[in-house]
Amino acid sequence: MVELHSLEVKILQALKSERRLSIDDLEEKTKISIDSISRASLWLASKNLVSIEEREERYVRLGSEGERFLETGLPERALVGFILKAEGKTSYDQLTRLSGFKNEEIDIAIGWAKKKGWLRVFKERGKTVLESKKPFEVGSDERVLELLSGGPVLLRNLSPALLEGLNLLKRRPDVIVSSRKIERFVTLTDKGLGAVEKIRAPVKEVSQLTPELIQSGDWRVVKLRKYDLTAPVLRIWPGKKQPYRRFLDVLKERLVSLGFKEMEGPLVELMFLNCDALFMPQDHPAREIHDIYFVKAPLHGDLSAYGQIVKKVKAAHENGWKTGSSGWGYEFSVLEASRLILRSQGTALSVRTLISKDLDIPGKYFSIARCYRPDVVDKSHLTEFNQVEGIILGKELTFRNLLGVLEKFAVEIAEADKVVFRPDYFPFTEPSVELSAYKEGYGWVEFGGAGIFRPEVTLPLGISVPVIAWGLGVDRLFMMKAEIDDIRTLFTQDLEWLRKKRIV
Amino acid sequence: MPTIEASFGDLERLVGVKLPKEAGKLDDLLYYVKGQVESFEGEMLKVEIKDGNRPDLWNVEGIARCLRLAIGVEGGLRSYAIEDSSKIKVLVDSRLEKIRPYIACSILKNVKLDDDVIRGLMHLQDKLDQTYGRNRRRASIGLYNFDLIEPPLRYTVARPTEVSFVPLDAAEEMTLEEILRKHPKGLQYGGIIGKHRYLPILMDKKNRVLSFPPIINSNDLGKITENVENVLVEVTGTIFQNLLNTLTIVSLSLADRGGQIYSVEVDYPYGKEKRVITPKIESKLMVLRPSYVNEVLGLNLKTETVAELLKKAGYGIAGSRRDEITVIVPCSRIDIMHSVDIVEDVAIMFGYNSIKPEWPRLATVGSVSEREVFSNLVREVMVGLGFQEVLCFSMSTPQILFDMMNLERSPVIEVSNPRTLTYTCLRNWLMPSLMEFLGHNTHMEYPQKVFEVGECVVFDEKNETKSQEIRKLACLIVHSNSNFSEIKATLDSLFLNLGIEYRLEETDHRSFIDGRVAKVLIGNREAGIVGEIDPAVIQEWKLRNPIAGFEINLDILLQKAKF
Repeated sequence: MVELHSLEVKILQALKSERRLSIDDLEEKTKISIDSISRASLWLASKNLVSIEEREERYVRLGSEGERFLETGLPERALVGFILKAEGKTSYDQLTRLSGFKNEEIDIAIGWAKKKGWLRVFKERGKTVLESKKPFEVGSDERVLELLSGGPVLLRNLSPALLEGLNLLKRRPDVIVSSRKIERFVTLTDKGLGAVEKIRAPVKEVSQLTPELIQSGDWRVVKLRKYDLTAPVLRIWPGKKQPYRRFLDVLKERLVSLGFKEMEGPLVELMFLNCDALFMPQDHPAREIHDIYFVKAPLHGDLSAYGQIVKKVKAAHENGWKTGSSGWGYEFSVLEASRLILRSQGTALSVRTLISKDLDIPGKYFSIARCYRPDVVDKSHLTEFNQVEGIILGKELTFRNLLGVLEKFAVEIAEADKVVFRPDYFPFTEPSVELSAYKEGYGWVEFGGAGIFRPEVTLPLGISVPVIAWGLGVDRLFMMKAEIDDIRTLFTQDLEWLRKKRIV
Repeated sequence: MPTIEASFGDLERLVGVKLPKEAGKLDDLLYYVKGQVESFEGEMLKVEIKDGNRPDLWNVEGIARCLRLAIGVEGGLRSYAIEDSSKIKVLVDSRLEKIRPYIACSILKNVKLDDDVIRGLMHLQDKLDQTYGRNRRRASIGLYNFDLIEPPLRYTVARPTEVSFVPLDAAEEMTLEEILRKHPKGLQYGGIIGKHRYLPILMDKKNRVLSFPPIINSNDLGKITENVENVLVEVTGTIFQNLLNTLTIVSLSLADRGGQIYSVEVDYPYGKEKRVITPKIESKLMVLRPSYVNEVLGLNLKTETVAELLKKAGYGIAGSRRDEITVIVPCSRIDIMHSVDIVEDVAIMFGYNSIKPEWPRLATVGSVSEREVFSNLVREVMVGLGFQEVLCFSMSTPQILFDMMNLERSPVIEVSNPRTLTYTCLRNWLMPSLMEFLGHNTHMEYPQKVFEVGECVVFDEKNETKSQEIRKLACLIVHSNSNFSEIKATLDSLFLNLGIEYRLEETDHRSFIDGRVAKVLIGNREAGIVGEIDPAVIQEWKLRNPIAGFEINLDILLQKAKF
């Protein structure tokens, strides 16, 4: 595609509809100077996009007399008009006295009128008399006068009849002035037409396409400036999930896909469900003010919904009840068990579930529970945190299943390469296990713990099948994945971090 | 989870074989005592023991005891026996019944003490006092140089100013009252007995003070040094079984250091038994069925195998039939309450990592709660509307929830034992958390659009927990032109996408600009609030731009949402 100058483009585009225009016409149409048009036309001609012809053109225009006759009309016309006003007949004397014509004019007028056959001149009683019968139609010379009132006219544009009129006018002095001019014409060649079709040559450069450009069609005649790919742009901050919540969402999906049902329960909990029903003796260190948040007011909740269960749990603590255990051997206080606290472990939800009428056996349950512990909030401690835990219950569950569950979690959730089990301790399970998982690049991490609920826990709740309780330390897992080493970041107040954190 | 300090050489000597020094291999051994190496510098080994109910493992002697069995240096029941009666009596005053009723003692003769042993002994005493003794309330330990004491002992009471003695490591005599008032131990533990008119005191025949239980020993009689050969161990407290267990642990630990155990007679004027001989280190018998072991563990162990593993764990076998083993539980195992405790030991000895894990074949269907599903939908819509999700703590302070939001204080769930002034209650609405969040980010580009879906808690008498959790959604939009139109448009879009019809009604709320706040109503229920935040509140949080937002009760929405 030949690169065209903007002048060339304009000329080509101007020629598109009529294909052949004079340079003057082009000037009018494009508003470019004659010199520029001439130059550009030559360039175009050298590329065979146009052909240029020269023609000598002859023009006629009105001379000074002609201008006068425009005002007054031809003299013979005025003469006949006078005669007709005098009832078609007048003497020469009257004419000279009354018409207002000058003498020379009268003779010329009479001469022309006679030639055109507009009047009869004869002698009557020794006087010259002129007679005219009717007004005569407009002659061709008069028509030419009219035509030339609008300016010069090309001689070749005159019809034969008008040419006759012109010749008549030419016999009078100063009516017609002839001139010659070299006219140049520019014609679009076929190749030129093809080129025009293809032109998207810039007439105007814009930086942005607008609805106006589209709708007006001007998009065809403007050039959209090339975009600078390195130009800096605004940052967009999209709506986004909080990364730690997203991580927990994914975790939930995984647990659900393994067949676990979500448990729900209150944040403010009865001490009974959080500790006592889990066989934690009432003076256990983990129940003290250093380890559990106590509600200031009211101090106590209502255990009436748990009636019989409370009695059985009390007996189990004191002497083992019917569980076959020796119990803790102290006096159990129901009042103490009704204390209100902030839930300190997710296992409270498991207790609620075991008590619930909707319990499925076999069943697999999970919860991601917000739990609370009095603690300072620093790089490695939080005072509120999430615990992921749950239970599995069924008639023939064994310790092997417990290990199987932990192993499955390590592989599915922590994507561990290896696992190792170690004995552990929880007041409410026996046997108890701790799982350590090994991951390439991360080393060994304690990932979770589990155990089989003690009979002192399950029997008072009316459960006679084995119940596996499990818990996972997923906060650490998240911190590893998100490459953070400050646990407070899980609840970060840093908008910049949230905005820039890639989705883990 | 107690951490036990020991000299590596000492441990090796007690175990009787060379032990590996690499942390990994050492951990493999410590598997048997639920322990892990916490640090190992030079000779000093620190082991973390996971079991909060196995005081018998809380010293190097106890750990060694178990390792000897696990490695096979010895097997079966280690029997400890009382050498003889010491013929010593402890006479208890009746007034102690309401103050600190129980005491139990033992005497260990010919103990070989050195710095390490004494240090270990002190640490054991400390750990027992703190955890098992529940900060000395339930049980507290005293150790004395028996040779300096003249029996019988009197466990009696004295008035606070009546008696004085030189407390351990102090320079001069102090009365009981002074000790409670000025001495660090008095300040720390005084609450246990301080409110009584009479205070417990342990004295010998010559009215010399052995100690002021549970506060402190006397310096003269209660200082244990390397050249002490005969040790009197005393435990006082409120739960007798607990005392006996504590006494057992300490006595056995000294017995492992060569001491011979001598019993003491305690005479009580109250209680069921008036004459109690302590320590009680008889083993107890329990019946264990191998079928039960296999049922719990999912294994197929033969009776003989179970018996072998039991011996390896330190149990004795009194008799064995096809499905019945009479197990002798050593006196050190004060944690054994139910046969399931013994089953765990069998499993540990068999090797947790030798048991083949099996994923349980249960046909269960997983699900997320309906509330969660709905919350996630709401979160999805909010993200779609261009909001950044944040997660804030649910604990807050009344100052943040009310004062800084220009509201009168009303009751919220407060805790009686906050650890810091920053977290003293549970939030009852979300917006203050979001305002706090914005306050941390005034240097970040605007507009800022944030939201949170979270739990709030309010009082509710009807519920057993006297409270009710409410799941809420709150959002705030901040930028130089933030206004009601924008937030209303957001609310519209949210409800459109949830398929819920709502309407707004004028209301007053001091956190919002008067005339630019409305209640959100769904049917006839008030479900939330929307409006422009009052500039007084904006300034309170040191923010500089207009803020508009809303807070909605999602639990109410859930009931109305058409799925």
